[in-house]
Amino acid sequence: MSETALKPAATTVAPPSTGGKRLRRSAYARRRGRSGLAFVTPFMIVFTLFMVVPLIYAIYQSLYTTKLIGGTTFSGFANYSTVLKSGPFWGGVIRVVIFGGIQIPVMLAIAFFFATTFDLGVAKFGRFFRAIYFVPFAVPLVVSSLMWGFLFDPGYGPFNRLMNAIGFHNFNWLSNNWMVPSIIIIAIWEWTGYNCIILYTALKSVPRDIVEAAILDDTPLWRIILRIKLPMVRPAIIMLVFINTIGAMQLFIEPTILNNYQAGVVTNTYTPVIDIYSTAISNGEYQLGAAMAVVLAVVIIAISVTSLAFRNRRRDFA
Amino acid sequence: MKLIVRRPAAVLAGVAAATLLVACGSSGSSSSAGGGGAKKSSSPTASASASVLAGGKSCSSSATQLTFWAWVPGMSRAVTQFNATHPSICVTLEDPGAGTGEYVPLDNALKAGTGAPDVAEVEFDLLPSYEIQKYLVNLVPYGANNYKSNFASWAWSQVSQGAGVYAMPSDFGPMGFYYNQQTLAKYHITPPTTWAELATDATKLHSQNSKAFLIDFPANDPQWLMDMMSQAGAWPFQYSGGANLTINWTGPAQQKFAAFWQPLIDSHAVGTATDLSTQELTEMDNGTIAAAIYSAWAPSYFAPDVKQSMGQWRASALPQWSAGASVGADWGGSTYPVFSQSKHPAEAAQFSEWLTATDQSWSIVKTPPSSLFPTYLPTLQSSDFKALAYPISGSSQPNQVFSAGALTIPQTPWPPFMTQVLNQGATTFGAVMTGKETLVQAFAAFQQQEVSYAKAQGFNVST
Repeated sequence: MSETALKPAATTVAPPSTGGKRLRRSAYARRRGRSGLAFVTPFMIVFTLFMVVPLIYAIYQSLYTTKLIGGTTFSGFANYSTVLKSGPFWGGVIRVVIFGGIQIPVMLAIAFFFATTFDLGVAKFGRFFRAIYFVPFAVPLVVSSLMWGFLFDPGYGPFNRLMNAIGFHNFNWLSNNWMVPSIIIIAIWEWTGYNCIILYTALKSVPRDIVEAAILDDTPLWRIILRIKLPMVRPAIIMLVFINTIGAMQLFIEPTILNNYQAGVVTNTYTPVIDIYSTAISNGEYQLGAAMAVVLAVVIIAISVTSLAFRNRRRDFA
Repeated sequence: MKLIVRRPAAVLAGVAAATLLVACGSSGSSSSAGGGGAKKSSSPTASASASVLAGGKSCSSSATQLTFWAWVPGMSRAVTQFNATHPSICVTLEDPGAGTGEYVPLDNALKAGTGAPDVAEVEFDLLPSYEIQKYLVNLVPYGANNYKSNFASWAWSQVSQGAGVYAMPSDFGPMGFYYNQQTLAKYHITPPTTWAELATDATKLHSQNSKAFLIDFPANDPQWLMDMMSQAGAWPFQYSGGANLTINWTGPAQQKFAAFWQPLIDSHAVGTATDLSTQELTEMDNGTIAAAIYSAWAPSYFAPDVKQSMGQWRASALPQWSAGASVGADWGGSTYPVFSQSKHPAEAAQFSEWLTATDQSWSIVKTPPSSLFPTYLPTLQSSDFKALAYPISGSSQPNQVFSAGALTIPQTPWPPFMTQVLNQGATTFGAVMTGKETLVQAFAAFQQQEVSYAKAQGFNVST
């Protein structure tokens, strides 16, 4: 996804010039405006109904509290104060930040390595392997977690037998210390293919003449990759960091499923979304859950927008 | 000039696109939950649509239409029989899934004011949660008390609150010591009659084979744990409706209970698998776990996993805290209340009473695949029910033991927020399974958590 694609769009919607004097919009401009609106309206209706309205409703609900004795009362920011003071909630936030902080760079490095290998054409059957590496992305997360849960199973899983064979007896992949690393392994398996395809597409749009000039200059391969290609796909990497951060902060499925293979490690505040689910659905405290969700959204926006700060202002978004 | 006009649309489109990308890129989406659900849903269940299993279009059009939600397998046979013998009423059965699969849509419909069924399966421990929100119809005006003497007294006290009766009790799970006789014989152990004997036996077995256990101790199942505490006189809640509530997880009886089990956990003389999980059932079958503190219905969960130990399983009475006593305990069970949203409470009550308090109904639901263990005394105490044999138990008659334990179950007044107790307990007691905390510490932490939750919900809490 090269950012150069945005630039032409900014100039093709302009109505024909009327020589600097625009006293009123021409009939042409009005007609284009109306048909543009007609195309956008269906999406905006769905977007408003299913994204904007629930968001506003959640914020509205978070200002109330329903008690078993006493009914529903307006509680203002009491729910937010509870969330901000909740140690377990912020412990969960720190856990997913650590999870993302390790998983995203490792996964992007692996994905970039594969993408470069495919782009250089040195892999035999490149198209076949690109398809194979993409398959984990097509597997639903619940299914992946169940599958990896069997592999990691503390009692009868093959990975444990492997560790026994190497000499690490009584190793438990799902113990308190190793649960997060195991989830990192699962997440890398799930998402590398997707990131690899996006990086591969970005690499393909690097102008050939720059690379050819570097080859003519006898630049070593690693320098071509790291000093020429990598900076040119920087916009794609920034975007992937942005998306992956949002996803990592919302970690829910893998720990919830792995909880069935090892009791007592995944608590009901293990990640922020697990905490929200536990509060809203299991404890019936919907309004407190809504406040938690709003706080989490603010945290996610803050962290992921930070990644956008690394974009090159001059060249990426002209 | 033109750029400024265009930018809001571009920004809006960008935000919209980002939101959609979030949906693709996130690892969070609604999915089935893992732990913390009702007892019968110990494996993740994702219920999408409820399918109509009986009734529906096959009744006459002038009949009173009733909707009935239940997950007991084979319930459709009973519903079909009722519809056939009561042509003026047409009950439509839907199975929304076990436990939380039913409770979540049920709670939503009750809160929304429409869409709830007339009758639904609700477990004993959740009744106070529905009673406190006035979702249940008092069945006394519909003749419920006529059936009182036909039910085990524990079950009837569970469905009563004050002078009202808010559900008809159906099945329950008296507990006993369920063991593999071959495995016990191998380790020269006889079924223990007291808990002190069980502790000795557990230590003895584990010292002979460090990979095997006498029983599993699933502390992360708060319902099972509380049932065990009830037998020890250490029941931690007092609640009889209204706003007053007593919570006590740290009193002398509770500390004594926790102090009894902690040494067995520390020395790994008891297993730490989640109850009724694949791991526990596999280990029971292959002899890693020799026995279990099980209810009358638990073997039906175990039976599909039995391969090696077919025919070896026996039941004996629940171990006692003092020699010679005979105090029972119950694990789970269901009732059939009528909901206040129902437009036909009289007919709904009639159906619920037929389903739970008649021989015709019990002759159907005591058989597989339903295999319900009755609170209904005429069936519970009949000699052919007690003499029932099951393939995994060979020629023995486990129901003799379970039905004997059915009449001495102590009172268990559940608090009106059991889903929160189960959810929080799974986490707080789960730490005991991994050795991070002792049971006594977990009880103290849980006491604090429950008192602060109850106070936040507006209760007057005493300890």
